[in-house]
Amino acid sequence: MSEVVEPKSAETKSLGEKLLSIPKPALYLALILATAVPLFFPVPLPNEPKDTAKALFAAINEIPDESTVIIQSDWTESTRGESRGQMDILLRMLMRKNVKFAICSAADPQAPEVFRNLVFKLNAERKELKLREYKKWDDWVELGFYPSAEALGQAIAADIRGAFAGKRDAPPGGDDRPVFESPVLKDIVKVDDLSMYLVVTGTKSIIIAIERFSDKVKMGGMVTGVMGPETANYFYSGQLKGLSAGLKGVYDMCSLEEVAHPGTTKLKREEQYILSLHVAIFLLIAAVIVGNVGVFLTRRSKP
Amino acid sequence: MFDIIAQTAPRVNFWSAEPGSPKLWGGIFIAIVIGVAFIFACLNLPTNYRRPLIATLTFIAGLFFVMSFVWPKSEGRAPDTLPNGGVEAVAWWLQDATGPISNITTILTAFLLGLGAFSMLRVHIGKLVKQQKDWGFSVVLLLSMATMMFIGYWDWRTVSFTMKDTNFSDPSNWVTATYAKDLVFDGILQKMDAAMFSVIAFYIMSAAYRAFRIRSVEATVLLVSALIVMMSLLALGDMMSNKLIGNFTGGAKDHFMENFTLSEIYGFIRAAFQTPSIRAIDFGIGVGAMAMGLRLWLSLDKTGGTN
Repeated sequence: MSEVVEPKSAETKSLGEKLLSIPKPALYLALILATAVPLFFPVPLPNEPKDTAKALFAAINEIPDESTVIIQSDWTESTRGESRGQMDILLRMLMRKNVKFAICSAADPQAPEVFRNLVFKLNAERKELKLREYKKWDDWVELGFYPSAEALGQAIAADIRGAFAGKRDAPPGGDDRPVFESPVLKDIVKVDDLSMYLVVTGTKSIIIAIERFSDKVKMGGMVTGVMGPETANYFYSGQLKGLSAGLKGVYDMCSLEEVAHPGTTKLKREEQYILSLHVAIFLLIAAVIVGNVGVFLTRRSKP
Repeated sequence: MFDIIAQTAPRVNFWSAEPGSPKLWGGIFIAIVIGVAFIFACLNLPTNYRRPLIATLTFIAGLFFVMSFVWPKSEGRAPDTLPNGGVEAVAWWLQDATGPISNITTILTAFLLGLGAFSMLRVHIGKLVKQQKDWGFSVVLLLSMATMMFIGYWDWRTVSFTMKDTNFSDPSNWVTATYAKDLVFDGILQKMDAAMFSVIAFYIMSAAYRAFRIRSVEATVLLVSALIVMMSLLALGDMMSNKLIGNFTGGAKDHFMENFTLSEIYGFIRAAFQTPSIRAIDFGIGVGAMAMGLRLWLSLDKTGGTN
């Protein structure tokens, strides 16, 4: 018959055992507080932008004013903490330079709607600031959602006009027409005619695109922290001209843009987020240390 | 209705024709005849012929992508010119075909969405009819799906047809359909999506506390590397290490100790271990995918194509 082990009371537990028995709800509460409280007390942190983000910032600034780029937007609200900031700063930089953009998605059917809402928000902000609104059709067009990233990449590489041949879009209140009649795409005959191809994603869709046409057009990437290390390979190989990875990437891009053009970014919001990230990572490191110290002390106290 | 999907000025080649031209209607007719014949062939062929038929079609489909990868590319193709020899003619044909074939691939992939929806409906309607365990959740799912479809369609009709002259990018022009879509898509679905993803943070926290243990030399190396990489993500950690080393070296940038700032150590880990490891894994995955692709293309798998 097995021996029944009485659970130890808090008083009889050693320090090591106490460290090992922190209840899950306490950990979760600490995490909630660590991520939520800093949002209310944004503090500017010292920041040295990474070389990948510096390169992307330079590459976007090198895009000729009023030329055309394609943005592949493959993110939804699930990665909004990182991806929305990435897309936000990218659009602000492009709008500052009056660069026209066409937008497509190849990872999630929800992505076009999420992107559209962000453009509307930025336009509302520009209207308040008495800046020129970015007009659908004249300044940007939608190329739609493609459920197969591989097929889209292959088609763009072979013949960009063929890839989007059936796509139509319309100015607000106007009739829809083929996208290649729009001021955005009328001069684009092959993929080389684009000033840049930018991918904002939380998935591998950027790698599918790089593998198919990074030799034909300058490419830039804005990815989540999880995708950062894998995508960085393509930056160091020269296939990506720049890369912004994770929340740090957003903060880097905003900091660089804010230095060059003060007052044009949402740096305040990113300061809130980056502080939350700092506290959360410190908490993670503390959790690892506490767990390991607990194990060490428990082992040492055993006869 | 067909104006929505029609190209107004397609480039005329083997794969496309002028709208309304006899060539276009002829092509559509031939495509329908071939499609119907293929379906009948699949349904009525003796079992032992099915596998060769599927294998042949798989090979032809795969051959196109292999050809477009290995066949010499034509540079500087101008409109209204003829190809310079057979090699260039094939290159042009492949180039023209890529768009339509990618469209076919996209359409086939899109069918998966329909297949998924059908499968989900079948499972949950069955559960509801038989009143199986947790059938209440099936009711919620079916109602949510129907509501989202109805409101999505209503919004699309309003924005694209009934009020197409209205600028809906300005919220002051919104109508009931736009508000309804905003509520269910942006207000509920998207927020739930974000909330579900954020739950991962709690799992990471729990795993960091309970599972990330120093149990061996390898685990210790992994733990120390992870801590360095995590610290390097923090601007504050980077600054503190720079300051600490700077105090030691007196600000001399060529001092040996400058190699031990957090960013330098992380740079070493990234360049010497992380990047090469990921490349090696990617090469492995690539070789594996090629082997699997060859097996599928040449129908070397023993299953499939029969009963």
